[in-house]
Amino acid sequence: MNIYQPTLMRIESVCDETPDTRTLRLVFKDPAMAERFSFKAGQFGEYSVLGHGESTLCIASSPTRTGYIECTFKKVGKLTSALHQLGPDDLIGFRGPYGNHFPLDKMHGANLLFIAGGIGLAPVRCVIWNVLDQRDRFGNISILYGARSVSDLVYKKELAQWAGMPHLRLWQTVDPGGETADWTGLVGFVPTVLQQVAPSSDDTFAVICGPPIMIRFTLPVLQSLGFPPERIYTTLENRMKCGLGKCGRCNIGSVYVCKDGPVFNAAQLQDLPPDM
Amino acid sequence: MQTRSIKTKELSALLDQLRAAGVEIIAPARAPGVGRAVVYRRVSGFSDIIMGVQPRGTLKEHFLPASERILGWRRGGAHLELLEASTDCAPRIVLGAFPCDAAALEVVDAVMGWDYRDEFWFNRRQATIVVSIACDGGDESCFCHAVGLSPGSTRGADLMFVPVDGGFQVEVTTGRGQAWLEEHQEYFSEAGDSTQAVAFQERATTRSSQRPRPHMESIGRWLKNNFQHDYWDQLALRCHGCGACTMVCPTCHCFDLVDEPEGPEGGSRRRNWDTCQAATFTLHASGHNPRPGQGARYRQRILHKFSIYPARFHELLCTGCGRCSRVCSSGMDMLELLGEIHDMASITEPTTSPEARNEP
Amino acid sequence: MKELQDLARRLLLEGRVDIVIGYQQGPRGVRPSFVTRPEQADALIFDERCVHNLVTYLSPRRAHLAAWPRRAVVVKGCDTRAVAVLLRESHIDREDIVLIGLRCGGVHRSAEASGPLTAESVAFRCADCSIREPELVDHLLGDPRPAPPGNSRLAERIGQLESMSHEQRREFWNNEFSRCIRCHACRQVCPMCYCERCIADKTRPRWIESSAHLRGNTAWNMIRAMHLAGRCVGCGECGRACPVGIPLGLLNRKLAMVVDEHFDYRATDDPEVPGPLGSFRSDDAEEFIV
Repeated sequence: MNIYQPTLMRIESVCDETPDTRTLRLVFKDPAMAERFSFKAGQFGEYSVLGHGESTLCIASSPTRTGYIECTFKKVGKLTSALHQLGPDDLIGFRGPYGNHFPLDKMHGANLLFIAGGIGLAPVRCVIWNVLDQRDRFGNISILYGARSVSDLVYKKELAQWAGMPHLRLWQTVDPGGETADWTGLVGFVPTVLQQVAPSSDDTFAVICGPPIMIRFTLPVLQSLGFPPERIYTTLENRMKCGLGKCGRCNIGSVYVCKDGPVFNAAQLQDLPPDM
Repeated sequence: MQTRSIKTKELSALLDQLRAAGVEIIAPARAPGVGRAVVYRRVSGFSDIIMGVQPRGTLKEHFLPASERILGWRRGGAHLELLEASTDCAPRIVLGAFPCDAAALEVVDAVMGWDYRDEFWFNRRQATIVVSIACDGGDESCFCHAVGLSPGSTRGADLMFVPVDGGFQVEVTTGRGQAWLEEHQEYFSEAGDSTQAVAFQERATTRSSQRPRPHMESIGRWLKNNFQHDYWDQLALRCHGCGACTMVCPTCHCFDLVDEPEGPEGGSRRRNWDTCQAATFTLHASGHNPRPGQGARYRQRILHKFSIYPARFHELLCTGCGRCSRVCSSGMDMLELLGEIHDMASITEPTTSPEARNEP
Repeated sequence: MKELQDLARRLLLEGRVDIVIGYQQGPRGVRPSFVTRPEQADALIFDERCVHNLVTYLSPRRAHLAAWPRRAVVVKGCDTRAVAVLLRESHIDREDIVLIGLRCGGVHRSAEASGPLTAESVAFRCADCSIREPELVDHLLGDPRPAPPGNSRLAERIGQLESMSHEQRREFWNNEFSRCIRCHACRQVCPMCYCERCIADKTRPRWIESSAHLRGNTAWNMIRAMHLAGRCVGCGECGRACPVGIPLGLLNRKLAMVVDEHFDYRATDDPEVPGPLGSFRSDDAEEFIV
């Protein structure tokens, strides 16, 4: 099988997260492939609707939940629009897993702070469930999640689940103006809220993902809270085609995001030229 | 390795024999059509071959075609079947590769084999014997000397032919080349006197080495430190962003993957050449473009060749063939550009003087 | 030459323009020059190698030139026809640009040519160009020039094409288009291809297949030709930029002849003449309307 050859996956279920964001649960059509397949938190895949092309999406489910993978996508481009047309039992192509992963081994025993904005919760959610499924290996867990408006919050059921868990702090926020009458969470942009709730950086790793503008303003807050750049991890989204380090599209400086990333710590990001 | 020779008549007979045996022969020859430019193409015999003219197109299209099918699919109701594309390649020989083009194949091997092995590329590489012909020294746009090669460089070639009266002196450079030569040894003879071949190579080297030779290491360092420099936008004023330079480049290998339906029941996924010079190359579905201007896009091309690829694969993504300068309809010139960067680097690096780039 | 350099220097010194786009000597022949400081004006030249149609740098698609909004550009008579189309189609304002016209007696086909113009070396487009002195300009420079050496190569080639059967013509163009590698250099250098989002780049739906196979290549080259019908000024830059040597000028010229035949329109340096496909006349040919 050549490296560009996808395998077929069947859509098992569809969950509408927001009016334009959707999560697909996928299972391999070939049971042998399902048996062989494994991945680590933070890796991504190339998903294809045959006739429409491929798109790069992270694997949003946790590697601890076997037998399926999930992807969450927003309907923005040609492929995601085609993907949005599909329903249960439809077949799509998949290649992966590709790229590096979050260094969970390094985080054993430490506290974790997850920060996500909008659909950026997808890769973070993968790590959260991975950690929750191995709860005794990690310290305190805090999650700060923000979206433009209440209707833009994804994984609402899981947010409710997390809110009820012991030894887990969850702050939910929406941008000013995005709140509804019955909204009980916070109102404010993620960096501002982060400054207000000021979680401790003691023996803590931060995992952050969201729109570039959120990341740009959140990184300085994290550093002011005492997080060294080496303990802040994020995952980059660059336009990719092959996912294999060949097509030359995802270079930032000498970094190939598809091979060296998509997971980087803030110290590594500081070394990259401003080509994002 | 061993040196032999071959007479033109024998070479012609050898090609006929190879062709009869089903070996595809790729060589510089006139393209069909109005322009009749010399390109590397499949030829039917020795008489088609044009020597001594650097082909307008490069050898890369025979290893990474401008467009190729990498997957097919068939649909019927709820049924969907993926059809694997064949990566097989029948035996071939390239006769008359320019040394810069042969070397480029080996340069691109590095990325094509990086962790994930591109079988389309490597099966073609393995099926192909590359015979280069020593270059006579090129023209004013050539700069193989600056990038560590020379008109007589054998990199990437299994054998190299050096023109002599009535034929070629043959230098064997790889084990594969040796095996191939032995298989067809009846066409080759003893090398004999090498005076002519040596003289040809010396003349070529003299011509080539007289051209400016910017220091690639200091250029690489300057590139790393000057991502945001006015130079890029100034440079790009002239550039149309047409990407012809990347298309004719023997080392540019960036590609796009597209799906093309062929009727309601099936279609093909194809890999197509793409260019970093096009705005669409990095355009996100959201509308965001990390490289919105031609300056940023031109910088990427230079960075990829002289900074990114060296940092990753320890060699330059350039063999100094000069095609980018020859093809540019607005007169962008790679050797000039490298000289300018060399000069800017010399300001911060006392070891690199502006004069140094003209030293042989 | 001095008069051109002096004018450029003056325009910059007096702050009339931010940039002068002209010609300079490059490592391989003549090339476009971008003069933003008065002291750079000495680089400007004009001779028979100035083949480029610099009007393409006025096209609104050139985002990277936006930093120099007031531009002076050196034009030959033939180039002013491209200015006229941009004006006619409201893509530039006449007040924003200064046109430096040079009297022209024809140019070579290649910017790298040397020696005097001959019937062999002269650009195809000069064959029927009668604009020795550009009119649509703010400054007119240079000595009066004789008409370029006549040549009929383009007419001969078109004659050959016309004498072919339908099948032969198809084979001819299939042969040419099969070499196309879809770099779209033809579009990028074209002063008339100013669309911000070209139909070839649109993916929803994908109107034109981007693959370099005959199907996609024919679609691309034919659609581009159609988009240029009645707009192409025949500068030939597309053919000059084509890295695989497709004779695009031939295709565009043929289409211009068809437009002339049906709509009595020829590329002109008069921006007031309405474009044939952007205007209606009661006697317009309409035999193609079913």
